Amino acid sequence: MGAAQPPLIRVTNLHKTYRMGRALVPVLRGVSLEVGEGEFVAVLGASGSGKSTLLHLMGGLDRPDATPRAEIVYRGVEMTGASVAALDRYRTLDVGFIFQFYHLLPELNVIENVLVGAMIRLGRLGYMRRGGEERDRAAALLDTVGLSHRLKHRPAELSGGERQRVAIARALMNDPSLLLADEPTGNLDHATGERVLEALLALREQGRRTMVVVTHDPDIAARADRVLRLADGVFETS
Amino acid sequence: MYQALLTRRYLTSKVMPLLASLAVVLCTALVLITWSVMGGFLTMLIGSGRTMTGDVVVQWPTTGFAHYEDFIERLKKDPMVEAAAPMIEAYGIAGMPDGRTQTVMIRGVDARFGEVTKYRDVIWWKPISEPLPRDYTREDPRLGSPELMQRLHAQGLSFTRTDNGVEKPAAVLGVEVSGFNRRDPAGFYTPRVRDRLLPDGGLDEVNVFLPSYGDITINVLPLDQSGGVIGTRTAKFPVANEFQSGIYELDNKLVLLRLDALQEMLHMQQAERVVDEPGTGALGQPGALGQPQGQTIIDPARVTHVLVRGRGDMGQRGAAEPLLERVTQIYEEFADAHRGEVPSVFLISIMTWEDLNRTMIQAVEKETALVLFLFGIMSLTAVFLVLAIFWAMVVEKTRDIGILRALGASRSGIVWLWLRYGLAIGLVGASLGVGLAYLVVSNINPIHEWMGRALSVQIWDPKIYYFLLIPNQVETPRAVLVLMVFVLSSMIGALIPAARAARLDPVASLRFE
Repeated sequence: MGAAQPPLIRVTNLHKTYRMGRALVPVLRGVSLEVGEGEFVAVLGASGSGKSTLLHLMGGLDRPDATPRAEIVYRGVEMTGASVAALDRYRTLDVGFIFQFYHLLPELNVIENVLVGAMIRLGRLGYMRRGGEERDRAAALLDTVGLSHRLKHRPAELSGGERQRVAIARALMNDPSLLLADEPTGNLDHATGERVLEALLALREQGRRTMVVVTHDPDIAARADRVLRLADGVFETS
Repeated sequence: MYQALLTRRYLTSKVMPLLASLAVVLCTALVLITWSVMGGFLTMLIGSGRTMTGDVVVQWPTTGFAHYEDFIERLKKDPMVEAAAPMIEAYGIAGMPDGRTQTVMIRGVDARFGEVTKYRDVIWWKPISEPLPRDYTREDPRLGSPELMQRLHAQGLSFTRTDNGVEKPAAVLGVEVSGFNRRDPAGFYTPRVRDRLLPDGGLDEVNVFLPSYGDITINVLPLDQSGGVIGTRTAKFPVANEFQSGIYELDNKLVLLRLDALQEMLHMQQAERVVDEPGTGALGQPGALGQPQGQTIIDPARVTHVLVRGRGDMGQRGAAEPLLERVTQIYEEFADAHRGEVPSVFLISIMTWEDLNRTMIQAVEKETALVLFLFGIMSLTAVFLVLAIFWAMVVEKTRDIGILRALGASRSGIVWLWLRYGLAIGLVGASLGVGLAYLVVSNINPIHEWMGRALSVQIWDPKIYYFLLIPNQVETPRAVLVLMVFVLSSMIGALIPAARAARLDPVASLRFE
């Protein structure tokens, strides 16, 4: 990352507090982070340290506390005060989420799960016009992750590793600049996790995508450009 | 686009939407069946109002009014009037060939009756070329013996029967009056067979078919012009034919006689009278009534009713009102021309077919309104059913909603997903419901007959409901309206769960277990 190049996403003074009954539980307590274009950042931390919350906030799925004032700037655009519609657009076009528990839609088959993102992006008319192209792209992505023979299968008919590879293809369907992965191998055995990670890294590399991965897995951390440790809602300084 | 895909998949892979659809099917079918039967009942009632009366009725019951032929001539000259016919209506007792007697309504009519009413259409015994729709085995007696049927038809039109070369005025009975006709479930009638005791003690079967050779005895009470009973008159009439109007009350109670015969029985025919009563004046001198004593007076024939048929379609509500006004004007001129001999326009009763049936029509209209009210309540039930089922489904699909939001789906997109789902359930359910209603309503009479045979249940009693058959038509506009209401109800039911789904916190949804 060149010094003059602005970061793809910059997070400043991020606070997030959850209410648990009457108690207020601070999860993030002033997190700041810059991630450059094409960078691969691994975030390590114990359970409950706020790793997933950080990803949700960076991905526009949640909003930080109003005070103290925080900033999430993506490609120079301030996202903290963005409208709901702008955040929806941001998640559709710029962000690809990969979850620990895959989060596939059980009623849809593999290729349909991958296509959902494209359907949301293009809308009804757009999808009717370009559905064929999108289907080809979804099939190609699934081929890349080694699932070309599983296009018509339902998630329940797949193994954990296969499901996660479908989730990766889905996250890449709209060609996002920012991949946010929440323990992508956390639910898989070591060998499967390794294969999934290889697929993920290969696809990231192809598109030179920026990726932030929350993980417990030291193997993932070892392959990252940068590793950050989150403890008690703040980054540890090494 | 994803909404269409998910709606399709949710519909085909879950039991709950099927249950919701089933609820909509049942509600839709129930409402449409009830409305079709009640609405059909009202339509039949309105239609039947004119079957045997025409569009406007001028009546002076019991004693009748004179110079009716002049009145009819005046009516026929008017461009609004298509036809007019005289009629006498009275009550009497009919004696059947097997000794039974029953109270009947008697109408004296002539051939013009068929020009004013639908009588010609409802004469039962006539040649037919095609069997009734459900007479699969062609057992309707009218399909055979075309010559006999042709003769009976002519008898029915002329109200006469010729036996042994002698032409006699005859009666035409409602098809249920005699009790000798057995109604087949397919809708046709067959003459009953009666046992006859033979001299040797054996039994013989007699085929009782009144229009061929049966007679009935009619007993009436003629009245004088002041309404006093003159005495009883009894006469035997050959039966010329029978009619089936579909209106049970008429088919079970009405006997049509030739007008001149009934006039004669009721002393309403033209008669000569010699004025010799005390107080009417000395012989050859004008009396108190202005008539010289001993002078012969012609009392013209009288009828109790003149039936009028208007030009054009008078079947719509209120359509006969202009004709009523015109007939009233014509009667006024007629009454002026026969002042003192006929009731004045202020006394005579002139009514449209609608006025005649107003009490019944209003009662059925109120019942139909009640059905529509129930319709509303049922729609509300469907709304709550869909709401409850959708609420449960939104809870079940909370994580899916979170996934879609994470992929960028907007809140309005999520609302549309569930509304579309409600629309699909409503469309599927209401369409199947309308189909079911069509099936039930169009077969409601066979179903009712089956219930009667198998379960001894008779819901539709013609004595109460006036008609022999249950209305079995589903009107398309009604079906479309019911369909739309239930589709809309399903969408309204889906609205609250949809709004809840859209408001769900995506992060919390993703963590939902």
